[in-house]
Amino acid sequence: MFRMSWDPVQFITWKDMSVIASPNGDSRGPDKKEFDPQSLSTKPVLVSSQRRARKVEGGIFFPKPENAVTIALSSRVLFRTETEQKVFEQRGVEEYIQYQVEHENEPFTPGPAFSFVKALEEVNTRLRELYPESEELFDIVLVTYNHATVGVRLINTINHHNLFIERFCMTGGSSPIGYLKAWQTNLYLSADAEKVREALAEGIAAATMFMSDKLTEVSEKQLRVAFDGDAVLFSDESERIFKSHGLDGFFQHERDNEDILLDRGPLKDFLASLGKLQKKFYAKGHRLDCPIRTYLVTARSAASSGIRALKTLRAWGLETDEALFLAGAPKGPMLEKIRPHIYFDDQMFHVEGAAEMGTVAAHVPYGIAQKHQQQKSSNSGK
Amino acid sequence: MSELKQTTLATDAGAEKDWAAAIAFYDNLKTKIPRPPKPQYAVTIAVSSRTLFNMDAEGKIYEEEGVEQYVAYQEQHETEPLKQGVAFPLVKALMTVNARLRHLYPDSEELFDIVLMTNNHAQVGVRLINSINHYGLTIERFCMTGGKSPIGYLKAYMTNLYLSKDGKKVTEAIEEGIAAATMFTAGNVENQLSDTQLRVAFDGDAVLFSDESEIIAKSKGLDSFFEHEKLFENKPLAQGPLKCFLEALGKLQRKFYAKNERMTCPIRTYLVTARSAASSGARVLKTLRSWGLEIDEALFLAGAPKGPLLQKIRPHIFFDDQMFHIEGAKELGTIAAHVPYGIGQKYDKGKLIEQPAKDTKH
Repeated sequence: MFRMSWDPVQFITWKDMSVIASPNGDSRGPDKKEFDPQSLSTKPVLVSSQRRARKVEGGIFFPKPENAVTIALSSRVLFRTETEQKVFEQRGVEEYIQYQVEHENEPFTPGPAFSFVKALEEVNTRLRELYPESEELFDIVLVTYNHATVGVRLINTINHHNLFIERFCMTGGSSPIGYLKAWQTNLYLSADAEKVREALAEGIAAATMFMSDKLTEVSEKQLRVAFDGDAVLFSDESERIFKSHGLDGFFQHERDNEDILLDRGPLKDFLASLGKLQKKFYAKGHRLDCPIRTYLVTARSAASSGIRALKTLRAWGLETDEALFLAGAPKGPMLEKIRPHIYFDDQMFHVEGAAEMGTVAAHVPYGIAQKHQQQKSSNSGK
Repeated sequence: MSELKQTTLATDAGAEKDWAAAIAFYDNLKTKIPRPPKPQYAVTIAVSSRTLFNMDAEGKIYEEEGVEQYVAYQEQHETEPLKQGVAFPLVKALMTVNARLRHLYPDSEELFDIVLMTNNHAQVGVRLINSINHYGLTIERFCMTGGKSPIGYLKAYMTNLYLSKDGKKVTEAIEEGIAAATMFTAGNVENQLSDTQLRVAFDGDAVLFSDESEIIAKSKGLDSFFEHEKLFENKPLAQGPLKCFLEALGKLQRKFYAKNERMTCPIRTYLVTARSAASSGARVLKTLRSWGLEIDEALFLAGAPKGPLLQKIRPHIFFDDQMFHIEGAKELGTIAAHVPYGIGQKYDKGKLIEQPAKDTKH
């Protein structure tokens, strides 16, 4: 059960790829652009105006929100917009819009959620192959504070990187949280902790993403999502006990309540939707090469407090492919081996530790750990 | 000012003196109700009596018992104010915006002007006036056409938008180049609308823009449509029936921005289109930019249902050319108005000539 599979064969880097898979399986025409991260950061690449449009007939590309697993992203997690942010903060909104319009044909560089989105599209391609009529796919919606004028640059960038993001909400300054519910969002990722907190309060799974300079390469073929346990998949009740009664009190409590299920946490439903899609692959005999893999990476100790977590998952009918009980060991090195496209944790301490080693980590501002963070320092969160 | 007029007019004919006196008298009247603006400066919205007020019960009498009984009924109930109709919240919001505009620009005539354009019999006018006064609305201009077509009057008033329940009149108006839309009785669910901010939501194709793209999508399919839009990305779309109304709204919005009220602007516009952003959205945004128009919020749905998003926006009115979307909006309590323009009129959810599953209209 605690087997760790670090199969290096599965890691494919950008440089190794010679063909960028398109959703219909056919390779792109002669005008395809190969994505090279180095070139984008050194000289201003302009978008190709001769880009062929993506083919959408012959498959489900626009699923109904209630059937799809909807992931809502903000523009700042999908792309790197630090320069533009600076312009906005220092010179105001009019100059910011002007700047964006001037640089309209310069695509943004990828942000922290970029590889996650690419992996989601890969899963979608596989799902369409196996179930051509099904609407149970990933649906990506861009939900941004940005003004509609900036939309042109966003659209140009999306096309430049060959992403398929067709649903937009450009709210021109008003809160996007209302739209999340209308889209039946399963997961919301943003760079703004306030919005993420608002979304969590509305019952939508959400996490704050941060940009880090070091990013390890992730698999192109398999979506990997890692979750912390307490206050992410489960509620923070155990953390409360741990913080008030200490480790021994916590162990005692867990042992006594072994058969009582933990309450659900904010990302439990997202794990459930991943599981639903995984089962579709299993049903067609693709368990071994399933393009979705989930990991539980928890600071719990296996023997002393692990059973309750596993029994809870079992009772919910959920699985994670791998479960790592660290008993307090740092998560960074483990995550560096897993190479998830995204890792959810409620404590900034772990998020930072993961980011230091190049993992894309997202903070879930939920539960008692947030109060401790606020007491500790003022620079955690926005 | 009135003294100046009197001294210069002392030398003129008596008629001039009377006229001046009349103006002075009117100016000095203590009236809270401000004077209506001149049509060429104002943004004129013509509403029919059936959209402003709920006249379903009276309508039944008209149909079942004839015009005589109908008029008699109205006269009997003259002092009973009519119930609020589907365009009522919109009119209330327009008046709020007017109040803000007058506050910022006391001498300007660039305001909303609401005209009542109705087929109704003149005698019914009393009840209408009583109802209007009951609700405190400022509707000073009436056209009771007694059966004649309102188009001539609409043009004379330089109408920027005409709302009616009668689809035929609306179609006629659009053909004459007047922005118009058919309103329907709202569904049972009524959303709480803002009373400080006017919100207007527009569909894209065949409402703000012409239906050229819809024709391609319907005849050749989505892939050709995307190719076409990519190819002509930098060529602006032709304008649609409601483009000028958006322009008029934008003109008033800029008056607020000029006074540093961008954040609290009482007019907010939304684009809610079934287009796909990356594949066909750039042309739309570039077209708006080339027209010098801004839209506050842009939602690209790529075929997702519009109902839930409109429910979150809560517009005072939503314009769309396809009945399918109008009905979806109504189901969730949004006030929707149908713009009977373009190729979308030949297709209906139940009578689609193409595959019914393809409701992903760009």
